[in-house]
Amino acid sequence: MPGLPLWRRGSKYLKQKFFSVAVIAFVLGLLITMQLRVVSQPPAEIIPGARAHELAAELRRLEEASASLGQEARDLEDKLLAATQGYAQAEAALKTEIEKNKTQAGLVPMVGPGVEVRIHNRPTERLPGMNEHLFAVRDEDILRVVNELWGAGAEAMAINGQRLVSTSEIRLAGTFINVNLNRVTPPYVIVAIGDPDVLQATLEMEGGVAETLRKYGVNFVVEKKDEVEVPAYGGTMAFRYAKPIKEGAKD
Amino acid sequence: MALWQRLKDYKFCWAFIAVGLVFGLMVATQFRVAREQAQAVSIQRFNELMAEVRRARQEQQALQVRVDKLRKQLNQLAENPGLAELRSELDAARIQAGAIDVAGPGIEVILNDSSAVVQPGQNPNFYVLHDEDILKVLNELRAAGAEALAINGERVIARTEVRCIGPAVLVNKTERLAPPYIITAIGDPETMEASLKMKGGVIDTLRYWGIEVAVKKHPVVVIKAYKGATGFKYARPAPVEKGE
Repeated sequence: MPGLPLWRRGSKYLKQKFFSVAVIAFVLGLLITMQLRVVSQPPAEIIPGARAHELAAELRRLEEASASLGQEARDLEDKLLAATQGYAQAEAALKTEIEKNKTQAGLVPMVGPGVEVRIHNRPTERLPGMNEHLFAVRDEDILRVVNELWGAGAEAMAINGQRLVSTSEIRLAGTFINVNLNRVTPPYVIVAIGDPDVLQATLEMEGGVAETLRKYGVNFVVEKKDEVEVPAYGGTMAFRYAKPIKEGAKD
Repeated sequence: MALWQRLKDYKFCWAFIAVGLVFGLMVATQFRVAREQAQAVSIQRFNELMAEVRRARQEQQALQVRVDKLRKQLNQLAENPGLAELRSELDAARIQAGAIDVAGPGIEVILNDSSAVVQPGQNPNFYVLHDEDILKVLNELRAAGAEALAINGERVIARTEVRCIGPAVLVNKTERLAPPYIITAIGDPETMEASLKMKGGVIDTLRYWGIEVAVKKHPVVVIKAYKGATGFKYARPAPVEKGE
């Protein structure tokens, strides 16, 4: 009797079976409806957590910037007030302003908590016939590490004793890496002042720069330090091309 | 007992398996949706946060204007001829620190994402600009003797980082930049252009991926002062060693 519909196939056993299938289908239908209602709700009223998190981070950075600017404004006001009192005071005010800018520019040695990063090739793993330079630490690797550290809020940094300033390059010249026109040789030791935990976490982040370099067979060690020292920039502070815009000097 | 008999009927058994499968899938989906919602934020809270960010940005800008004005006033007071030497030292320190607007001969490098149509199977990520590309251009310019640098008007100082966040680039911790990226550099225009355009150099590499690069030399470019936070929270000047 395959032609007949299920409920007319006669046997009591089959009728029972049909009934339970109907009950299950009913429950399934209810569940689907519920699910649809839950799923169709969110887009209108809810924002993914990551976006809000990003915004919160931006807010924090802006507040930090404002706090620092407020401090700078108060400092300048004090100096202005002093400068109006006489020649000697004006000279002193100017000198402290120079000192402040030199500190900012990297012309003053700094100390503080931070990290020490040691990067060097692992010579034992080099196989015969392998291109030596393929997995050697390159200038762009160091550039990336340095960039990550600045991003993590590092305040001062040096590579093998070369202070990084706004004009510092990290660049392959021949077979060596130059920093501030000075040759640096492996092992590369980057010293950074900042929050040691944050600096370390940023480098060691999953999929981060430490993981990538280690995958290439580079020996990468990050060590937190209570106190590190970053030397002053040794180069000259002469500008041949850039000239300050003398605003208000003439009016 | 009845259930046992029914289960012996293998057709019925399949129905149970199918229902069980669907049911399981639904419970799993439901669970995930519920969890996502728990992590999400209501639009109201998000808007509050947005307003807060806007207010903070305004406050920062207002303070920046005030600081700029105060710096100018201090400069004017230092016009005294006896202080001329100190004044030039201050200028040099400020240029190095990025704390002053500067002008001079230089170049402009304009970078834009590739306009090439990505073929199926190719990684589209190869054809968009990355933070690393910008870093390399900046590094090359520094090596070529650039004295002051900016990206889309944001002064690049030692502490400047360049990081991709989604389709934008974040520099100086708070400034979100969108393409095209215009890098301005003050220095010898010829040297800087030559070093960028060197065979196998930065521009060659970028063009390989279809990134649009244009270099323009200018007799005078203007680079604004750094606007962000300048304070030190962790670093302090090293104590001066006696008897050196």
